[in-house]
Amino acid sequence: MSPVLQSPVLQSPGADHYSSLSWGAGNPPSGSVGSPPIWKKVLYEHQPFPDNYVDDRFLEELRKNIYVRRYHYWAVVFEAGVVIQQLCSVCVFSVIWWYMDQDLLSPQKLCGVGLALTLLGYLLFDAVDQGEGRRDSGRTHWADLKSALVFVAFTYGFSPVLKTLTESISTDTIYAMSVLMLLGHLVFFDYGANAAVVSSTLSINMAIFASVCLASRLPRSLHAFAMVTFAIQIFALWPSLQRKLRANTPWTYISVTFFFAIFAMAGLLSISSVGALLFFLLLLSVAFLCPYCLIRLQLFKDNIHGPWDEAEIKEDLSRFLD
Amino acid sequence: MAVKIFFPTCCSAAESGLLIGRWISEHRSAVVLATLHFPFIPGQVKQYLARLQQSTGLSLSVLGTWSHQKAEKDEKMQSFLDDLSSIFSHRPWLRISREGSSKFWGCSIDRCDNEDQKEVVLVYYDEKKLMLSELHSVTENSEIASVFATVAKSRPLFATHKYDEGPIKLTHWQSEGVEASIIVELVKQASVPVCAVLSFLVSLLTSVCNLRVLSGKPLSFLWNKLSTSEQLGKRLEDIRLVSSAERAKDHIQFMRKSNTVVSILLDMALGILLMSWLYRENRISQLADTLMPVADRVALELQGLLQWLMGAPAGLKMNRALDEVLGRFFLYHIHLWISYIRLMSPFIEVILWYIGLSACLGLSVALSILSDIIALLTFHIYCFYVYGARLYCFKMHGLSSLWRLFRGKKWNVLRQRVDSCSYDLDQLFLGTLLFTILLFLLPTTALYYLVFTLLRLLVVLVQGVIHLIVDLLNTLPLYAMVLRLCRSYRLAAGVKFRMLEQQTGKPLRLLMQINPLPFSGVLKSYMLPSNQCCPKDSWGSLCRKLFIGELIYPWKQKGNKQD
Repeated sequence: MSPVLQSPVLQSPGADHYSSLSWGAGNPPSGSVGSPPIWKKVLYEHQPFPDNYVDDRFLEELRKNIYVRRYHYWAVVFEAGVVIQQLCSVCVFSVIWWYMDQDLLSPQKLCGVGLALTLLGYLLFDAVDQGEGRRDSGRTHWADLKSALVFVAFTYGFSPVLKTLTESISTDTIYAMSVLMLLGHLVFFDYGANAAVVSSTLSINMAIFASVCLASRLPRSLHAFAMVTFAIQIFALWPSLQRKLRANTPWTYISVTFFFAIFAMAGLLSISSVGALLFFLLLLSVAFLCPYCLIRLQLFKDNIHGPWDEAEIKEDLSRFLD
Repeated sequence: MAVKIFFPTCCSAAESGLLIGRWISEHRSAVVLATLHFPFIPGQVKQYLARLQQSTGLSLSVLGTWSHQKAEKDEKMQSFLDDLSSIFSHRPWLRISREGSSKFWGCSIDRCDNEDQKEVVLVYYDEKKLMLSELHSVTENSEIASVFATVAKSRPLFATHKYDEGPIKLTHWQSEGVEASIIVELVKQASVPVCAVLSFLVSLLTSVCNLRVLSGKPLSFLWNKLSTSEQLGKRLEDIRLVSSAERAKDHIQFMRKSNTVVSILLDMALGILLMSWLYRENRISQLADTLMPVADRVALELQGLLQWLMGAPAGLKMNRALDEVLGRFFLYHIHLWISYIRLMSPFIEVILWYIGLSACLGLSVALSILSDIIALLTFHIYCFYVYGARLYCFKMHGLSSLWRLFRGKKWNVLRQRVDSCSYDLDQLFLGTLLFTILLFLLPTTALYYLVFTLLRLLVVLVQGVIHLIVDLLNTLPLYAMVLRLCRSYRLAAGVKFRMLEQQTGKPLRLLMQINPLPFSGVLKSYMLPSNQCCPKDSWGSLCRKLFIGELIYPWKQKGNKQD
């Protein structure tokens, strides 16, 4: 419906009004007797043609593939970087959780590293665009500090509750729920596409839910605190920094993505080599195979547009079937 | 259309004379009410009829002649009767003649407006039953209704009997002598002073009840919650209605008054029966001895239930910490309750003894007190229910709004719909954290809520049964039902006609009988108004309330006010 209305070339049903004014009232076409009558694609006028007559000009307004975009391979690969980043984030989160669960990583260390990286990222966030984004949004450092305090205070306050929250629920249920929520996070994440399914709120909420579920399995409440804090850092703060990097310094972004992917794979390799291999193949296909497929399949696109309404079946017609 | 003659069965053996009755022209029917015998002076008859017309409001007249020939044919009598038609100029003029004790009478109509419609249907009816019965559910102007009204309104006609020394001799259902009962007359005489005393007492009580002290804030709140005070108020209102000096205006009001009287009398009789049972053989102290252990036992059972809930009931996944907190809280409550009962136990017998006295006010009052006692003894269950429901309601509301936050939506109050909304990161984080916590704690709260709601529903059910019995005692139209049982013709739903033996050349003979009102009809038309506010919400809304944790039963009036 919308392409028809947007196109100025094509005649939409709303434009009938204009044609009747200029054609019907202005100069009648059957003025001169000698010239053959001109066929018009209207039903409201009496025309000297049989009912089944089809003029040569009948389909002259038909357009094909007017909205097809030509993609460049490397540009598509660059855009696929967002997906890779998000896959790697989920992978790193799972690996860190596994380390915490096995007590191979102390919460103090995770908190320390996380804090250092967050501070670094915070400095970068302002440095990348020379504080332009901050001036536009009007958000002060004081507000950031307040938000951070709210995070830390509430997470620390609730961490004993989180620790005992899912005690009586089976571990498998928790795993299933977390996997489902992380998958949801990946599905609903805002990769830059303009679609109805995208909801960054829902995506972040699902990630936090998964992190709370997983944190409640950890041995002590400090672990839970460290895990939830880490989840905030990796699922909420890290993507916003990425977005800024991608917009301002594309080459830095590409290298950061590359190293992040290497890091995630290395982490996975220390747990399971098969998993690491599969993850590598997944990344490879997302980064290089899928853009290739997209460009190949663009050739088979066959869309038609014209001055008609698309037929929409709104009513349930199943009652006519029997 | 044939002419219908409604003829009273009591007049079929009467001597020859004149027919007195009413001609209903729109239905072409004649209602014969009585026969007038010789000797009479036509002028006096006309005077008498005029007087009757004034007192009854009906146009009674001489409809025709009635000849009953006991032995051989009397030609003189026949011609005399024919002459009478010139004196009384009624149109049409009926002539009914009976020969000996023959069943088939001859009927003819003179001076008819429409000569070809001389066909006659004789309908026999029982005058007494018709006069006393009240016709239900009949349209205003139907023929049967006007026949009933004619007979019922001509009561003054039936007041004369054959021992009267008047100039007029009539035969009708009461002509052998007026029926009356000494007891009824005595009761009528006695009721006047009794009613005066009662109404004085009622006004005294009402003025006491309206005192400022009693209708103040704390006490009036208490009165509204007790079903006993409600029942007493209802009875007071009933007695005021019964003892009022004015006469009942119509049949409905009369029936309402008498139903109320019978209901009060039966209620009191049952109450006194209960009292006589209670105060014999030391039953009060036995009752007191059993009541306390029962209350104790209930508390102990509740304790056991709580212990079970604090474990892992039915293998449910409960949050251990919250479970323990809730369990301890409720256990402490039960501990308080048990000590309260221990404190009360020495006085319980005395209290019961005084409460038993109230049974002389009626069984319904005693039952209301019983319902209040049950409410007081299960106060702990009520408290548990309220705590559980409040907690559950809070959780449900929190979860529903946080679920909207989880999906990135919010409730738009101005437009009454769910809108999308962009939240800050800290709002999202806190909301989801709380959502997760509430979601995982919900089963524990829900279980406590479920168990205590079931207990509460059980108590409400018992109280509901008691209230139902009280309501039945209050509203059952006992007088009407006894009337229907013993004098079924008094409440008529309609009539039925039975065809009698026929003979060619003689008019069609029908016997009119009264169809009694069915019992369901009696209940429907004479049910007394009830003061119980029966639950207004349907089953669906009740289930919805239970699901979202709104309080049910006793607080519903408050909810209505808010609406």
